[in-house]
Amino acid sequence: MSVQYTAVSWNRQKRIYDSIIASGAVLYLGAFIGVGAIVHPNATIETLVIRAFGTGAILLLNIILAIGPLARLDRRFLPLLYNRRHLGVTMFGMALVHGAFSIVQFHALSDVNPFVSLFVSNTRFTSVANFPFQAIGFAALLILFVMAATSHDFWLNNLTAPVWKRIHMLVYLAYALLVAHVSLGALQSETNPLLAITLFTGFATVTALHISTGVRERRLDVQKHRAEQDGFVDIGQVDAIPEKRAIVVALGAERVAVFRYEGKVSAISNVCRHQGGPLGEGRIIDGCVTCPWHGYQYLPECGAAPPPFTEKVPTFRTQVVGGRVLVHPQPYAPGTFVEPARTAILAGSTMR
Amino acid sequence: MTRPLRRDHLRIWIVMAIAMLLIFAASIMERRDTTPRNTGIDWSQTK
Repeated sequence: MSVQYTAVSWNRQKRIYDSIIASGAVLYLGAFIGVGAIVHPNATIETLVIRAFGTGAILLLNIILAIGPLARLDRRFLPLLYNRRHLGVTMFGMALVHGAFSIVQFHALSDVNPFVSLFVSNTRFTSVANFPFQAIGFAALLILFVMAATSHDFWLNNLTAPVWKRIHMLVYLAYALLVAHVSLGALQSETNPLLAITLFTGFATVTALHISTGVRERRLDVQKHRAEQDGFVDIGQVDAIPEKRAIVVALGAERVAVFRYEGKVSAISNVCRHQGGPLGEGRIIDGCVTCPWHGYQYLPECGAAPPPFTEKVPTFRTQVVGGRVLVHPQPYAPGTFVEPARTAILAGSTMR
Repeated sequence: MTRPLRRDHLRIWIVMAIAMLLIFAASIMERRDTTPRNTGIDWSQTK
């Protein structure tokens, strides 16, 4: 959360994260060009640079797209999610170098404008083997540019989280375009099966991860909960909620995160105001519900960020009856204080 | 993510899985032959 914009709010974790990204990129590019020069002594340095940056970019995009579902499957991947946008900007930088060198290498020597040449030099749209794959790559590069240019929280805040999220979901289209770009381009002339195997393994893994987590999330969304008296819904045993953590239930139109802390139970919307992160997968730190994605915080009783921050999420009424937690599915306006239910009066409750 | 985004996300990936598999399979099946070797010329002669 922020009350003013700064280019990057550097902290130790970000420095370590970015150092690893930079070192990894330099090592990969160096190794690719070095090994490539030995294995293909006739290849020019321009060709090696184009290949190194192109493969580096798509490899990084595979990693970026795998982080989201992996973080949902295993919390140990959450630190990778924290600065995923830095990975995205790095990936765009590599794709840009690949694209720029390719345009210079293949289109700059004619008397036609290189960008015009990119679209008119090959118009065999009906041929799979000779499809104008470079135009597809250029379209993907444009999408990646829009995403990199709007990656800062300044744009997130001004465009609003839902619009920003929709724009950034274009990365999926860019990914499909890049798979097509490689399949219809480099794969057509490459005799070594390594490229085909790597490309297939990459998109099969990323797709399987996204679909499997999507199906799992859908199961949670369609779960039915038994309605009790006064419209409250029984969501389970209070002891099933770990201290300072939550369980997430789908009630009505959206998910609710039900937190247990210091002998109390509070329920707030599961959707973080920042990027829609799952608040119920975070924990209570310093008395505040802390989003696992980027650390935005909310007070569990009222769903409001602690001053001077202004984000607010809807709250829900809770009860604890006979060791079971009941939540009313009707949300209160964001930031509305709701008295937490007490677990301390329970017979046989385990206070920690 | 909100529920509509989650729903769209799953649909997008199902469509993408099919599309990418089709493109990949078509590109493998329709691969053009690489330029055949000219047996009359040894590349080292051109050095």
